[in-house]
Amino acid sequence: VRPQLSLHGSPPPSPSRKKEDGQLRLLVVTGQEGGTGGVVQSVRQWAADAGLEIETASDLPRAVRELAAKRWDVVLAVLGERADEDLSWWVDALRGAAGSPRLVAAAQAPSMGLVLRAEKLGVLDVLSLPLRRDDVLQALRRVRASATEVPVRLATVEHHAVGTYALVGQSPAMLEVYKLLARVAPSSATVLVSGESGTGKEVVARAIHQSGTNAAGPFVAVNCAAIPENLLESELFGHEKGAFTGAITRKIGRFEQAGNGTLFLDEIADMSLALQAKILRAVQEREIERVGGSETIPVDVRLIAATNRDLQVAIAQGRFREDLYYRLAVVTIRLPRLAERGDDLVLLVAYFARQFAERHGKQVHAISDRALELLRLHSWVGNVRELRNVIERAVIVATDETLRVEHLPDEFRGEETALADRPEGALLTLAELEARHMARILAHTNGQIGAAAEILGIHRNTLTRKMKEYGL
Amino acid sequence: VSAPLPPVRVEKALALLPELEALAPLRALLVATSRPDERSLWSSSGPYLTLGKRGVQPDELRRRMPQAFHTIAEHLQALYRAFVEALESQQRGDAGAVVAALLRAGRLEEGAGRVTQAGAWYQVALDVAGALQDRRPEVESLDSLGRMALALGHHADAARHFQRALALAEAEFDQAGAIAACEGLGDAARWQGQWAGAHAWYARALRLAEASADHRAIGRLERQLGILARQQGDLAAAGEHLRRAREHLESADAPQELARVLNAQGQLEAELGRRAPASAAYREALAWVQRAPRDPALELSVRINLAQLDLDAGRFLEADEELRRAEQVAIAGSLTHRLAQIYTLMGRLRGAQGDETGFVFFEQAIELCKTLERSAATEAQVYLEYGLFRERLGQREEARAYLERARTIFDSLGEAVERDRADAELRKVSA
Repeated sequence: VRPQLSLHGSPPPSPSRKKEDGQLRLLVVTGQEGGTGGVVQSVRQWAADAGLEIETASDLPRAVRELAAKRWDVVLAVLGERADEDLSWWVDALRGAAGSPRLVAAAQAPSMGLVLRAEKLGVLDVLSLPLRRDDVLQALRRVRASATEVPVRLATVEHHAVGTYALVGQSPAMLEVYKLLARVAPSSATVLVSGESGTGKEVVARAIHQSGTNAAGPFVAVNCAAIPENLLESELFGHEKGAFTGAITRKIGRFEQAGNGTLFLDEIADMSLALQAKILRAVQEREIERVGGSETIPVDVRLIAATNRDLQVAIAQGRFREDLYYRLAVVTIRLPRLAERGDDLVLLVAYFARQFAERHGKQVHAISDRALELLRLHSWVGNVRELRNVIERAVIVATDETLRVEHLPDEFRGEETALADRPEGALLTLAELEARHMARILAHTNGQIGAAAEILGIHRNTLTRKMKEYGL
Repeated sequence: VSAPLPPVRVEKALALLPELEALAPLRALLVATSRPDERSLWSSSGPYLTLGKRGVQPDELRRRMPQAFHTIAEHLQALYRAFVEALESQQRGDAGAVVAALLRAGRLEEGAGRVTQAGAWYQVALDVAGALQDRRPEVESLDSLGRMALALGHHADAARHFQRALALAEAEFDQAGAIAACEGLGDAARWQGQWAGAHAWYARALRLAEASADHRAIGRLERQLGILARQQGDLAAAGEHLRRAREHLESADAPQELARVLNAQGQLEAELGRRAPASAAYREALAWVQRAPRDPALELSVRINLAQLDLDAGRFLEADEELRRAEQVAIAGSLTHRLAQIYTLMGRLRGAQGDETGFVFFEQAIELCKTLERSAATEAQVYLEYGLFRERLGQREEARAYLERARTIFDSLGEAVERDRADAELRKVSA
């Protein structure tokens, strides 16, 4: 079933970032470095020709005061010698400023690294000093273009509530998950839920518990990766008072807390081999011992484990016990990536937008066509969790009924810049394309060169050399 | 292509590193090189990520070692050069220059975060200065020792050094030395909760600064008086002091000091419940920080206050983002000693959300206090907040145990204000 996205009955177009007369408000910040007086003079002239309203600030503190006092559409900032740092500072400073002004940065001989970083941070454009009239006007045209967003009404989404969570989606991949979930829930079988980060493993675990025979009992979740390794054992099995430094009181562990209910062990692959052995014993013998205690305590819990790793690889690397794997993976449910779920993305956007609008006391009924397009094009490394965060943030910063591009995080605004129509003369060279792709992969691997080289299928030395060459 | 080996966690990497002073730069490099594991960023453990769970790639550490060696060599060269200059001055019989060179070496150590080592240089400088007829080098040495003692939380020692410095400075008509000594005495008194004493010392320093028309000093002292007034609950007076501080510092072109004043202004506005002006003051403070010579500690201080503002207003998403930015500044700027404070706030944030797993932040903060930071005062603060976190989750027995531990440490350090706060919280838990 294709989700209903209708332009009929759309709310009235949301207020544009422009003033009624179409005049953009531009703040030019020249910084402390000398020789920028010409910038102000030139931009003032061009702005007047283009019908822009312009004001200037001679340093950062004054600019911050201007930003706090008035609403701006664009900030043209001249970066200093520490251009990279200045750029980050500006992105941070504009976050949350009234009207979400777009940033146009100007720098002396900007490196490709700076340009790519700017793109990632959502900067509208990076211009080279001395400024050229055409470049400035081209950047401002992009601001005008982004103001023409058409609102699309958010659909009402049917969902399966799981406590404070919900299962949302109608894609074939999710339908398979629902069928498996329905079959396994009534049994007491141990379940292994696998899938990338943010695909909803805990929600599925809660759904199994809620539909199972022990639904009346507690659902206790433990995040094995979040808890320091030296504390995880006592967290799971509990401890007696004085068992170790810091054991100031007797503690009942999560196994006991989950008695007659479900114990959900999230990110199980992050557990040490020693602790895996103890879990195996608990699963096999259905009894535990508190740390520092001698009493054997019987436990009656259903175990659901989850992982975002490939446990077979972990077993091959000697990082995960094979016997424990077979004990846990009596039934395995694999959750699809968001990218595999097609139009579920639209349903999830609508569901989260309504949920967070209610939570934050906002009226949000639509999303702009451009914003939706950017959401569709995003790679969603963090899957549904990332989408949920993006929508929550957008709802918080939205000032009217429509979520628009300006409400999306910086990197989306960067993607929008990359998408924008370029004049013919600005077609990318092969080197620029290569640099862009490398920057994208490096961002994906959070700067880890080895992992990036692996994805790119080149040797890490080659990547390091090219990064130097492109100033990444 | 075979699967790359996952990075080694910082908690495991640090456990492999013996506690040797010579390895401290390696420890700092290890922390600065660490990154959040890409896979964990969006995982369910992502929100609980702390320094210990970040990953280190041995290869990257190896690549960055030459850079670290270069920094170490530069630092040692500068220290050795300062010593040789002291030696040459000694040979010439210029004891004043000997003291100046030794003090310079101490400041280099302080700049590298080696406060105890700096103290050793200052002490030698003081020994040499004590034999001089001109007492100003001795005043300067005592001032440096006093500042160092303050940084280490040894308030009584600091007060002793400043008292002696003041007596000598007055005898020598050394106005700048006397201003610094009075300000130091004010700081020592303020840390010990002696409000009246602190006010008297700051006011005396201010009179001296006004007499010598030293706008920078006047601005700094007005800020100190503003902070003191705020701590005493006199918010109107605090506002007036900060306004005057700003006036003087603007004419002195002192961006760092202005950032400090705006940081204090933000705290005052926050206390008045005026969120928007507080946020604007912090944002402007960050702009001044950006204009001034690099000072990650100051930036961190503003960002932590900004996060606290969001936290108190229930804006958890913004608070979390600001704390993560602060964490990054602390790690990149080798300010690991501030991480405990950041993690304590992250724990408080989770506590406010009723999230029990937030305890991992307090545990990490305690671990940092014991390994990297070694500050009893910070450890006590962590225990205090940990106690409040447990209390919020209804775990009263554990809450009481943590609060008692905090109280004991504060008491042993002579930090009366914080001890009394721990006492008050203990009474609430026991009621």
